[in-house]
Formats: sequence, structure tokens, C-alpha cells
Amino acid sequence: MKRAELEFDRPRALQATGPPERRGLARDEVRLLVSSERGHEHARFRDLPRFLAPGTLLVVNTSATLPASLPARHPGLGPLLANVSTHYGDGLYLVEPRRSAAEPGPLPLEPGDTLDIGGVAVRLVAPHPGLPRLWFVRAESDLQRAMDRAGAPIRYGYLEAPYPPLADYQTLFARQPGSAEMPSAGRPFTARVVDALRAKGIGLAEVTLHTGVSSHEVEADAVEEQPLYAEPFAVPQRTADAVNAARREGRPVIAVGTTVVRALESAWDDGEIERVRPAAGFTRLMVHPGHPVRTVDGLITGLHDPLASHLALLYAVAPQDLVREGYAEAVREGYLWHEFGDSHLLLGGVKAQALHGETGGR
Amino acid sequence: MHRTALITGGSQGLGRTVADFLAAQGYGLLITARGADDLEAAARELRRYGGNVIALAGDVADPVHRERLAQAARDLGRLDILFNNASTLGATPLPPLAAYPLDELEQAFRVNVAAPIALVRAVLPLLEASGGLIVNISSDAAIGGYPGWGGYGLTKAALDLASLTLARELNGIGVVAVDPGDLRTRMHQAAFPGEDIADRPLPEVTLPFWAWLFGQPREAVTGRRYRAQADRWEVKAAAAALAEVTV
Repeated sequence: MKRAELEFDRPRALQATGPPERRGLARDEVRLLVSSERGHEHARFRDLPRFLAPGTLLVVNTSATLPASLPARHPGLGPLLANVSTHYGDGLYLVEPRRSAAEPGPLPLEPGDTLDIGGVAVRLVAPHPGLPRLWFVRAESDLQRAMDRAGAPIRYGYLEAPYPPLADYQTLFARQPGSAEMPSAGRPFTARVVDALRAKGIGLAEVTLHTGVSSHEVEADAVEEQPLYAEPFAVPQRTADAVNAARREGRPVIAVGTTVVRALESAWDDGEIERVRPAAGFTRLMVHPGHPVRTVDGLITGLHDPLASHLALLYAVAPQDLVREGYAEAVREGYLWHEFGDSHLLLGGVKAQALHGETGGR
Repeated sequence: MHRTALITGGSQGLGRTVADFLAAQGYGLLITARGADDLEAAARELRRYGGNVIALAGDVADPVHRERLAQAARDLGRLDILFNNASTLGATPLPPLAAYPLDELEQAFRVNVAAPIALVRAVLPLLEASGGLIVNISSDAAIGGYPGWGGYGLTKAALDLASLTLARELNGIGVVAVDPGDLRTRMHQAAFPGEDIADRPLPEVTLPFWAWLFGQPREAVTGRRYRAQADRWEVKAAAAALAEVTV
């Protein structure tokens, strides 16, 4: 797939510069765009149960967000910011050193350089192949403690002060700390939405995928060749069982977030019995239209920027035309982009279509 | 005491890349390769990270050289990683299996199978003491059945089985086989004489995998065969079942 297929115009003003609560809205009062082959409908997130048929299985990400942005200092370059992307285990981390939240760099760093990150001495080991802004570093002691002491949520230039506290980044499902950036598709869920889903016979299952720092724009002309970094994931047995049962019985499976699609697809077993199996490890699977999505029929997600690799994942879940029409609609209707913005329910699969049609959205 | 790794074929290619990666993390290194000049040059550069680097030139198929390596490891007092990377392509240009010179096939088994197993035996007490990790470098030729790759592939298939068997026989240490994928190395060039291999990635492309593997609990990975350039690396099924608590 060509990079140009990820381009569209998104007016700069259409971005959430802070949590919806600042705009006087509850988490579940952000807008919800529902895109299916029936067209595009506009609602509030708390209306979600109306658009899902009984028997649907929603799969959510239990990863909690870390205060992964730490003040750092380099002996030659002076004060920097270090965004901790991923713990590889045993004191080895992948980190993005930056000039500041607004200025990524590039920074003239070399293997063997030392950095102070939040009071912890680290050594630069090697840049990540293909992604030289990310560095493997060896920490003298636990960066988790440094985060607890001196960390803040990672933020980018579009957020406005006062910056949201960590609690604003935790979803209702967040249980296991590990994400550098909020798995934001789950943010609009509230207890009342979950109660309404349960009352309608909609199931919930859990996976874990700890997100790294957000990927930059796709640079490779062929989207499939964009280097990706790996992220920790786990699909437990009971989630594998729940997804397999839904598939067997023809009930729709809807992922809450692109992270969930990647975790489930990473656990797909295309052996003699096609199924999702329990799996854990690291994945850098790129889901794009050349990789058929076998585990989900739809996706709840935020709105993604032009040239984001996530758009290729959306095109793998639903037809590209449907996604592009939906985005045109979102721009026309003034939806807000980014992690505190509005939500999008994308019903791509045939099963989801059929059920949605039968039961009626409203 | 600093963590220590023994890397065979450590002067260039994949072995050298992993040596750099570990040296930059403060590991002490014991490296070996046949060419003394290349090995000494590699050692000089690796010492720039400030750690202890011992370079012993020689052939891993030579029992006397293996004993020197084991003695050097014992003198260091600690060994965390045995990285069995040195190997031979066997006869080149790669002959079809039915025409393979048997003396070269036997020599390939000595270098690619017997030597790694003998090194395991020689340093086992040190690995047991540290709860260490044995990495045996394999190849897709071990399972591919590629014409011309039969001799080399046979030795790597045998090494894969050696890895799995050792993993089941040895307690408290990890044993994995790793297919690094096609890489732009001198060995790969030797397999494709005169061909342009510039489209193959440099060995650095495997660093994320090593970062992951070396950070895993040994019991979560032992007995598995990995592809370093794959899009996912998984822990064993038993560890996956506990994933909720361990991830």
C-alpha cells in the first residue's frame, strides 16, 4: 500500500487540546461517529450500546499508562527530556531522548554516552535499527521508580496547560502499568456505559498491550516497509476462548483500540484449526490491507492523523473508502482528533453489518 | 562481578554486533574467531566501552582451543551467556547434497554441531552458577530444504535438535536456537559469490530481538526456536498462561 493512501486534510483546529472534562463533558459524552456500510451516524459515546447487537464481544486493553516522560541531562547537551517507551526486561529500556515536549531533536548521541534520567544513570547502548530517534539504554537502577518520583505523562505540543495529571490518562480498564502512551480508545468508557453494554448482553474480554511512544509519520513509500518497534502483549486463555466462541457462533468481535487488533492478530494461529491461542511476548506486527484481519469485525478507536500507520490498520478492518468517507464526515462535523478527542466505531466485517442491520441502531 | 558473555565468531558479522551490544551494556566479553588480526581489532574497539575484553584466536573445532576458552571463562569467574555463533558454510560453492564431499560434510558437523555442544559441556558449571543462557545460531536452511544448502542445513537442523534436547536436559539455564534471518555478512556473501547482497539488512537489524531475549526469564524461553527478524517473539505457552501476572 502506498504512503499517499494515508494522506487526507485535517484542519489544525480539530484537535483536543485537553480532556473533554475541561470542555464540560463527561468522558462518555465525547462524540461517537459510527461508520458502517449503512453510512455514517453521529452520536455520543454513551449511546454506544445502541449500535451493538446482543452477543457482541468487546475486547479491551488492560494496560495502564506510566508517567513515562522524565527530565534528563546529557553531559555535553545539557537538559533534555527522556520519554521511556518500553521496558525490555532486566534494566534494558527503549527510550526517546528529546530536546523538549515540542522539539524532538535530532540529538547528536553516541553509544556509550551516559544520561541522567530522573536521577538514574543510564548508558546509551545502541539506536533502534531504522528508528534512530529511539535508543536502547541500560539503567543502573529501576526507571519505574524514577517515573514514580519524577515522571509525568508523555505529551506533545498540541496539549494546552495546565497539563492533565496521570489519572486523566487511565482508562476504566487500566490494571497493569506499562504503556508509554494511553491506550486511548478505552478512555470514553464509563461504568454506566459498561453497565448498559452488559444489560444488553454484550460481553467484555481483556488483552494487554503496552504501547510505546507514538510512532511518527510513515516515511516509507511502501507502508508495509515502515520499521516498527516491538511492544509487550499478552492474550490470556479465557480471552482466546471468548473470541473463538464468538467467531464460531457468528457473533461480532469488536476491538477497543488498535492495540487490541494487534494483540489478537499476534495471537492468531493459522494452523489446522484456525483460532486465537493464548500468547505473550513482544509483537511488532503491522496490520495493513495486505494482512487480512481474522480476529475482529470492527473497531472502536480515536481519530488518527494523516500518515499515521494506524490508518493502514483501519483499512484492514473496514474498506478504505468507508474509512475515508468517515474521516471526511468527521472533518465536516468538526470532530476532535488526538487522545482526548472524539471516538469512532468502525463496523467493517460482514457479520457486524448483518447484526447491526437486523437489530437496528436506533 | 560484571556479567560476562562468551561469543564465538565474535570478530565480525552478527557475533561482532552482539558483542558491541553487550559491551555497551557493561558486559565483560570473551571473544574468539580464527583470524587473529580481525579479532584483535574487534577487541580494541570493544574495549572502548570500558569493560574487560579477552580475545583468544583459534578454531572452535579444536579441543585444545576450546579448553583455553573454558579456562579463560573460569578465570573470569562468571559466565552468563554462551553465544554459539561461529559456523562454517561447508563446501563452497554450495554443492548439491548427493555430490557433497563427505570429508567437508564431516568437518561442517565438527564446527557447527560438535563444537557448540563441547563448549556447552566445558562451561556448564559456570552457566549453572549464573542461571545463564545458551544461544545457538541456526538458519532457515535448517528447515528449508533449499537446493545447495543441504550440507549447511543438515548441521543447523542438528543444532536445533541439540538446543531442544539440551533445554530439556539442563535445569536452571536457558537454551534457545535463533535463526537470525538473511544478513549482509561475509558468510552470506560467501554463499552467494559474485552476487550483490546489498538488499540484505545489516546485523544491527536483529538488536531488538536480542534486547528482548536477554531480558527474558530463562524458563520463559528455554527450548524455543526464534526468528530474530520475525514480527513477534513469544514466551513459552506455560509462561503465556501466566501472562496476566508477568507482563
